[in-house]
Amino acid sequence: MKKVVLFTLVVLGSTATALAQTTAYTPPAGRLLASNCFQCHGTNGNGGFERLAGMSASEIVSEMREMRQATKPEMMDVHAKGYTDAQIQLIANYFSTLPR
Amino acid sequence: MNKRRDFLRLLTGATAGLSAAGWSSLAAADDDRRTRTTTAATVPTVSGVRGRVVVIGGGMAGATVAKYLRLWGGTGVDVTLVERASAYTSSIMSNLVLNGQRTIQSLQFGYGTLANRYGIRMVQGEVVSIDPVNRKVFLADGTPLSYDRLVVAPGIDFDVVPGLETAEAQAKVPHAWKAGPQTTALRNMITAMPAQGGVFVMSIPAAPYRCPPGPYERACVVADWLNRNKPGSQVIVLDANPKIIAEPHAFEEGFALHGVHYYPGVTVNSVNPTAMQVNTSNGTIGANVINIIPNHKAGKVITDNSLADAGGRWTSVDVRSYEAVVAPNIHVIGDASKTTQPKAGHIANQEAKVCADAIVRLFAGKSPDPSPVTNSSCYSPITATTASWLTNIFAYDPASGTMVSTTGGNVEAAGRSQDNYEDMIKWFNTLMADSFA
Repeated sequence: MKKVVLFTLVVLGSTATALAQTTAYTPPAGRLLASNCFQCHGTNGNGGFERLAGMSASEIVSEMREMRQATKPEMMDVHAKGYTDAQIQLIANYFSTLPR
Repeated sequence: MNKRRDFLRLLTGATAGLSAAGWSSLAAADDDRRTRTTTAATVPTVSGVRGRVVVIGGGMAGATVAKYLRLWGGTGVDVTLVERASAYTSSIMSNLVLNGQRTIQSLQFGYGTLANRYGIRMVQGEVVSIDPVNRKVFLADGTPLSYDRLVVAPGIDFDVVPGLETAEAQAKVPHAWKAGPQTTALRNMITAMPAQGGVFVMSIPAAPYRCPPGPYERACVVADWLNRNKPGSQVIVLDANPKIIAEPHAFEEGFALHGVHYYPGVTVNSVNPTAMQVNTSNGTIGANVINIIPNHKAGKVITDNSLADAGGRWTSVDVRSYEAVVAPNIHVIGDASKTTQPKAGHIANQEAKVCADAIVRLFAGKSPDPSPVTNSSCYSPITATTASWLTNIFAYDPASGTMVSTTGGNVEAAGRSQDNYEDMIKWFNTLMADSFA
């Protein structure tokens, strides 16, 4: 790991570009994947069809597994099949960390 | 609701005198009311992420990328959104203006929440040129805006149809494929059709075009309304494509239900707006109402600034970040880019999130997510009370460098239903809130 650079020291004046600095920033695991759900379940899973924020990861995973078995698939059943087990686990873990 | 109408009237009447802050705050009150179920998200402080982004275009893609750059990148990411219009008019659901179920006003979304809740700097104007060397864009009045990374999301523009070169001709034969005054004009033309035996002719452009199911949906919705209100009318569909390219099951059933006359593989050569005739590859046809949807290309700012590397129409992008292949630090999202994904609002919203996440990572000196996933989902009204749906999920394929369907291509509803129609309303409201609130 490279040294953390403090941008307050780097950025001098309004014209300075602040690019390609190595920092400690790490996006939360599963966030970008889970954002696929936001269009129908609200930003951060806060509304829409079903509130996902703060649901337990195991509940989300088991619901998605159940949907895969649907004989006459509704839209969510198709989505359940479109993500891998590992992706569903990441999505579920991410929503479980969000405030209900 | 009256407040919104007053606001919009105000804008159409005298936009020039209002400052950006003025119209932002007016719109915000309304948007907050409409999207009350959404918990207010705040812009965090994210250590080590800093940069300036200019976003061109405040549609589904542009609004979403601006919001998520702030939500995920935090206060260190300075975001300026440049948009010509004072409010966004959703093309999604706009076919329901044609059957009188919605008004154009009900499809309008202000930029106030983006400004006030997320701290996005709104600039009402038009970018006319891009200087990629000095990383600046210039507005029509010469104002420069500097960026570290530029996101271009101008949506689509249209080819000129022979015979429809003038504004007057276009007013007689509207495409109504960007929701707005043309949509209302087309609605008025439909209601003015003869009580019996009138003819409505519409054309479908060659793919790729915006919203693949949209034209077929339009034919169904218009035919449904005419059958109930002006019996004996005919709806004639001229499709430049060899077959129905989206939801074939739903639309074959819909066309049979409504008696739509569907002609695949027919191209429009020219239109005579005076005689109200369409010259096609299959001969000439006359109609009371003509709705030609011309072939598409990326918005003007793309074609004017050497970004249309793909056939002079679209921008090729790396779909892990949406950075243009021909222009470093310039990202192109939504309908203007050339990818394996459809051109549509729901997936434009997701492309925007992939792009926002990538830019935040790049500002932090990291690489974009190596395996992004996107999804396309939409509902199509088939009658005034039923709808079908269509969905697809795409994952990045390193071998081809493209987004590849994980569901074996488009999957559509087993059939139209009232439940789907109700879900359509919920989907629309939630999607718009995720993009604008």
